[in-house]
Amino acid sequence: MIRRLTGLAATAAVALAIGVGAAQAKDFVLGEQSPLSGNLARVGQGMHEGISVAIDMANKQYAGKHSFKLETIDDETSPAKAVAAVEKLAGMGVVALTGGYGSNIIGPASEAANKAGLVYITSGGVTPELTERGHKTFFRINNTDGYATAMIGLLEEMKAKKVSVVYLNKEATSNLAKSVQRALAGKGVTVGMHEFDGATNDFKPLVNKVKLQDRPDVVAMVGYENDYVGILRAAKVLKPDVKAMVGVWSLATSQMAKEFPDLMENVYGTSMLPYPVEFTAPEAQEFAKTYKTLFGKEPDYLGQFGYVQTKLLIQAILRADAAGTGIADELRKTDEPTLIGRVTFNEKGDNPNFSHRMGQHQKGKVVLVWPADAANGKAVFPGVPW
Amino acid sequence: MLELTLQALFSGLLAGGYYATVAVGLALVFGTMRVINLAHGELVLLAAYIAYAGESRYGLNPVLCIPFALVVVCASAAIVYALLARIEQDREMNSLILTFGLGVILTNLILMTWAADIHSTTNAWMLDSVVLADTLFAMRSEVVFFVAGLALMAAVHLWLSRSWQGRAVRALSSNRNAAKLMGVDPSRTEVLSFLVAGALSTFAGIAIYTGKTIYPALGHVMTVKAFIITVLAGMGSIPGVLIGAIMIGVIESFTVTYAAASLQELAGMVLFLVVLFVAPSGLFGGKKALPR
Repeated sequence: MIRRLTGLAATAAVALAIGVGAAQAKDFVLGEQSPLSGNLARVGQGMHEGISVAIDMANKQYAGKHSFKLETIDDETSPAKAVAAVEKLAGMGVVALTGGYGSNIIGPASEAANKAGLVYITSGGVTPELTERGHKTFFRINNTDGYATAMIGLLEEMKAKKVSVVYLNKEATSNLAKSVQRALAGKGVTVGMHEFDGATNDFKPLVNKVKLQDRPDVVAMVGYENDYVGILRAAKVLKPDVKAMVGVWSLATSQMAKEFPDLMENVYGTSMLPYPVEFTAPEAQEFAKTYKTLFGKEPDYLGQFGYVQTKLLIQAILRADAAGTGIADELRKTDEPTLIGRVTFNEKGDNPNFSHRMGQHQKGKVVLVWPADAANGKAVFPGVPW
Repeated sequence: MLELTLQALFSGLLAGGYYATVAVGLALVFGTMRVINLAHGELVLLAAYIAYAGESRYGLNPVLCIPFALVVVCASAAIVYALLARIEQDREMNSLILTFGLGVILTNLILMTWAADIHSTTNAWMLDSVVLADTLFAMRSEVVFFVAGLALMAAVHLWLSRSWQGRAVRALSSNRNAAKLMGVDPSRTEVLSFLVAGALSTFAGIAIYTGKTIYPALGHVMTVKAFIITVLAGMGSIPGVLIGAIMIGVIESFTVTYAAASLQELAGMVLFLVVLFVAPSGLFGGKKALPR
């Protein structure tokens, strides 16, 4: 009798375990709206790769328990198509959204996500207005302040007295340039501001103006890859008497080091990682390994940001599923050391801990030079590519 | 002040040369067929990417990639023509839709083949600086392709004005029916102008690759600029294309130097509108060039 009861109990336990397991195991579909074609295709693709790595790693980590699927729609670098993409993804039943690039695209896209009641997490839009709208569903892991802090910190360390800021007339780049201007002017630095249009393909007249009229110690560039190449190429031809060329995002990357070795030597840009990548933490090593397996190349900062935002989202989804709460509520509870530093979210969905690092191209490598506690080498200063 | 002005003028001149090399192929097709080939910029871009592929994979000098690019781009131009030739009704409007669609297809094919990264030549000789009179600065590639572009445009102008085929193109542009009565084969002449436009696009693509950065979305930007210059020039006018392009290049350059770089596109558009207001047929668009 006892043996029979034991057998029954064991069977019941196994059945219960299987039953409970089956009830808990869930498939989660995440939505991604990113620019995979159009002007922002390069950066959109970079973020998409990071998101894909996060999904892949989560599927390995939670194998047999949960599975994660990514539905991606290309917004073609168009705000209207981004809204349509978000609405379509909402209709497909995704649990939350990750991705987006460009503040002018993320604005309406996250508005649509908010209307659909879906969490939208990004690292592609840094303009302050995005987190001033009071959306409870909007989160981002980086912001203008973090980039400005890094650029200003480096310029202070250089003891620059005159700085020319050459910046693209888009929302995010203008905000960052003006933020840098205010901070530097407040410290008694003479700042010359030079706005340019995205269609500019010859920067010689602009750089010549900087060279002959401003005569700065440092040129600070706020734009995107093709803008940097244009400015640096013009500067290499005109050879202004400056001590450094400093940029922000998309500049201190392995891609730029490989593609434009003649232009990049001694140029600074924001960078979370040195190149070649040096990962010591196990999670970071796993990230780099997965990235290389999936895409056959070293990860860059875009992939890193895409990975971090998606990993945090997945964790929040699982917590919300287990506790029966909302994903936004769980994301707001985030306090996590990540590949880009500690991430928490304030009531606006911003990460107040975000501060970037500055890297410098040196002989085909990117060396982290600011802040001192993150540096893995010394800055070559003064130093320009010509 | 003088240094700034001279450099602005020089940079504007070189930029105008680039614009002209991109626009001349579009102007030729527009003049012959009354067709705005909205895939023109993508054909130029295709040549640029072929030069990139040749340089990055096989270490070829971009100029040596011209023969291969010529074959691919001319073949692509011939396909565009073959599709356009099938339009039987409302050719002007339907050709816009067709070529726009072909442009989108080409952009996406380029994106799929070469990804979205930006590229430019790594040829040190091309990128070296040229300094004239210790005041005027440029990249060697800019000067080389400016001079070569002028020579090419002169050759096209001579071909149009001196050769029988060139005269046939102009005759077709001026009066299609009269040209047919004079023994001009419209289809043959049109395909010829498309092939010549393909050759010009190839040259422009190599010039762009050696002096600027290329990325998949650039094709559309070049089409718009080429269209503005073509209309500014007056339909089918080669000298008009050169002068219009240089005017736009110079005004953009002066706007950057003496106003703000962010206003340069606006300045070009204002010039465009002013010219069209004063001369609705464009700079060199006499009445002869307009009617069919």
